[in-house]
Amino acid sequence: MGKYSIGEFEEVVMLTVAILYDDAYGISIKEEIEKRLERKVSVGAMRTALNRLEKKGFLDSEFGEATAVRGGKRKRYFKVTPLGKKVLEQVMETRKQLWDSIPSVAFDFKFA
Amino acid sequence: MSNSSEISPPRLPTRFLRWFCNPQLIEDVEGDLSELYAERRSKSPVGAKFRYLLDVMLLFRPGIIKNIELKNGLIHTAMIKNYLKIALRNALRYKGFTALNLLGLIVGITTSSIIFLWVHDEVSMDKFHTDGDKIYQMFRNMKQSGKETRTTWTIPKPAADLMRDEYPEVDRVVQVSWPIEMRFEKGDDKSDEVGYFVTSSFFSMFSFEVLEGDKNTALDDISSIMISRSVAEKYFGSQWKDEAVGNTLKIDNDREAIVTGVFENTGSNSTLQFDWLVNAESFFKENQWVDDWGNGSFRIYFNLHEESKVPVVADRIRDAIKIYAAGLDNAGDEELVLHKFQDYYLYSNFSNGVVDGGRIGYVKILSVVALLILIIACINFTNLATARSSRRSKEVGLRKVMGAYKSSIGTQFLLESVLLSACAMVVSIILTYLLLPSFNQMVDKTLTIDYSLPITWMYIIGIVLVVGLLSGSYPAMLLPRFNIISSLKGMVKQTSGSALMRKGLVVFQFAISTFLIIGISVVYKQLDYVLNKDLGLNKENLIAVDLNYELGERWETVKEEVNKLPNVTAVSVASGNPLASNRSTSSTNWEGKDPNVDYEINIMLTDKSFVETTEVEVIRGRDFSDDLADSTSFLINEVAAELMGFDDPIDKRVSFWGIDGRVIGVIRNYHMQDMYESISPLIISCIAPSRSDVALIRVDGNPAEVLEQTEQILTSLSSSYEFDYNFVDQAYAENYNTEFLISNLVKIFVVISIFLSCLGLFGLSAFTAEQRSKEIGVRKVHGASVKHLVLLLSKDYSVLMIFSFILAIPFGYYYAQQWLDGFEFRTSVSIGLFIVAGLITFMVGAITVSFKSYQAARVNPVKTLKDE
Repeated sequence: MGKYSIGEFEEVVMLTVAILYDDAYGISIKEEIEKRLERKVSVGAMRTALNRLEKKGFLDSEFGEATAVRGGKRKRYFKVTPLGKKVLEQVMETRKQLWDSIPSVAFDFKFA
Repeated sequence: MSNSSEISPPRLPTRFLRWFCNPQLIEDVEGDLSELYAERRSKSPVGAKFRYLLDVMLLFRPGIIKNIELKNGLIHTAMIKNYLKIALRNALRYKGFTALNLLGLIVGITTSSIIFLWVHDEVSMDKFHTDGDKIYQMFRNMKQSGKETRTTWTIPKPAADLMRDEYPEVDRVVQVSWPIEMRFEKGDDKSDEVGYFVTSSFFSMFSFEVLEGDKNTALDDISSIMISRSVAEKYFGSQWKDEAVGNTLKIDNDREAIVTGVFENTGSNSTLQFDWLVNAESFFKENQWVDDWGNGSFRIYFNLHEESKVPVVADRIRDAIKIYAAGLDNAGDEELVLHKFQDYYLYSNFSNGVVDGGRIGYVKILSVVALLILIIACINFTNLATARSSRRSKEVGLRKVMGAYKSSIGTQFLLESVLLSACAMVVSIILTYLLLPSFNQMVDKTLTIDYSLPITWMYIIGIVLVVGLLSGSYPAMLLPRFNIISSLKGMVKQTSGSALMRKGLVVFQFAISTFLIIGISVVYKQLDYVLNKDLGLNKENLIAVDLNYELGERWETVKEEVNKLPNVTAVSVASGNPLASNRSTSSTNWEGKDPNVDYEINIMLTDKSFVETTEVEVIRGRDFSDDLADSTSFLINEVAAELMGFDDPIDKRVSFWGIDGRVIGVIRNYHMQDMYESISPLIISCIAPSRSDVALIRVDGNPAEVLEQTEQILTSLSSSYEFDYNFVDQAYAENYNTEFLISNLVKIFVVISIFLSCLGLFGLSAFTAEQRSKEIGVRKVHGASVKHLVLLLSKDYSVLMIFSFILAIPFGYYYAQQWLDGFEFRTSVSIGLFIVAGLITFMVGAITVSFKSYQAARVNPVKTLKDE
């Protein structure tokens, strides 16, 4: 699977961060994933994934403004780094190659 | 929403979060959670709190928890890493030393683990019943011969009825028969199965698992039977689940029983072992004798509504037999006492009506042995570590120069020993796995390591810590005290204190080994004594063949036919194996007997050739005679003669079971039980040979041939007869199975303990030889011979050996005597025993030491002296 390995959930998180672009912080990412993938995401799981991806250098983050609803805490906005983009492309590429290598009859279920 | 205090999330989880969360993440994570909380709160305040807590708990995971790896300042992880590295390097550098150390620990831990598994299994016997600790069993104390009391669990049935009817404190009473063998038949399949007659509330008291049928009602009908899973599989195949219940089995040739239930096999941790259960009423109906207060029958178990009422019930029931059986001719001087059902397995010996140990004795012995072995292993470790401490002196010195505290150096060495003991534990677990099957075979158990039990993990972790800390504590105390300068020069002198300590430990180790050797020798001597003691009759070449009712009736033909066989010198029929007498009565009467005292006297029903066959000696009067009408003549043993108080017992009138007769002779005492019991009074009568259960055959020559021919004769006389026999001497030896087993086990452990002690000694003498290598070199240069040097090096240790021997003697003597006191007939503890034990340890120790000394003495002095 190439140079970089990321898990399926990590991939989802990175793609979501990319989708949200300017507004990618904890809650928004969580809600976006829940909305799009129709699955529950715990704060813990997502936070760990974000943290790990940042450590690997696939994501970058900076603090935003504080709001009252967050008890005066600042938001941390995430951004996909160029390296992250490369990883995502690589994952997609690998997938595509795999799909392309499937013989057409393999998925031909008409007579199965 | 505008009021921030109103929306602030729950305090406690937040504080927890702040405590564990990585400070780099905390602001943003907490912000996220507050935002979520505020949002959820608008929907449901309570739910929001709960989910907040849940989220915090889910955040408690690696990646979020603050980084304790480095630079934290609170826990010196870097130092710990360094300690581990140094420990590993040291272990690898001195491979032989490490191997010696590990080997000792591994052997010690493995041995004690296996023993503790056994102990755990023994202790957990019968503990699986729900509320099992509230079940009580009734026992009957029977006064024997005026002075001794015998205790039995066969209780007159009316006692159970009395409890049910008149004791409001009693919740449930369950009666259980003795193990009974019944013939099962279905089509062509037949087998003999052992089981119990029980009263119907059996399953509400005992938690045996019922697989099929209703456990509350399955035993209600007296024509029904419940069978174990193994019996069900035997008769109904793999489909027993569907087929067994409702089907019938033919039982004891004459009646059909409907299977109403199947229960799980009783398993090895139950003292109640049975393959079938039948309602006790069907037994009571056919055996009217059980209704008599004078006849012991089923076991009685009961529990009470209130646990605190036990003393009340015990007080009330005690004299029930005396009250209700008064006036009956078979009434004895008897008391009923209560004991906990679960205690019976370990505490089953009664002496004079009071519980007096039992298997618990062996459990204790082996636990102590396990502990001793573990201690020896720890001592080894301590000894080797201190002996080698000079090797580490430069390291300690350097650490101190760099500013290490004494405590941190101590921690380092403790950590090292815990680490080593953890390694040993891992290997031990694997070894235990490999050894358990053969150990199981030896002790006839199915021990396994059950990792699902928390106690297993507690044991593993506990042993690692205890062994590690115990064996590491002395080096950890000693090493940090090294003087910096001299340790850096590599010139650490062993203080006389530490040398003394090491010697003390060696003495202690060998004292333990000597103690164990003394113990095992005493056990062997006693077993030897027991098996070879003159029992009063000749048990060699004597076969006891079981007879059934039909053969009993035709006893004359049996005798005549068997007597004709070659190699058979005498045959006699009897009511039981003479070395395991089981028939007794308290209805005996004789001339001049005090009518107010009852005595329990053993009865042997036999024929006229009993004395000739068993080779019992008649010391007064005469044997039964074929020419005289001796059916109401009795032989009595010496104990009986003394009890009855006759000066001349011959021709005195004696009666039992209402049979009047006269004493014609006195026989020499022979043992009717194992050596734990004294010899009981006995009356031998030949009034009813037809009620015999065994034929005693005295053979001369090949018993196999005799057995084969006897079987042919007996089966031709009775078609339903199943041939069964045992050799009287073997059956007698089986009384001591537990003793044999334990002595075999202890023997193994003795060898292990000696091995461990020698391991320590080996390491220590290697160390001494190394320390004195220059001295040896100088001596050799001056012309000392190898022999002289070996003696010189070994001398010190001989003194230690002698010390340990002296230390072991009093303990060995005390405990050996204590164990022997349990036997009514016992051997003595002799001096020779101690000397042999001392010599064995001394020899083994001397060989170990001189081996290493020899190696050291052989070294070319150039090698040891060149760097001076």
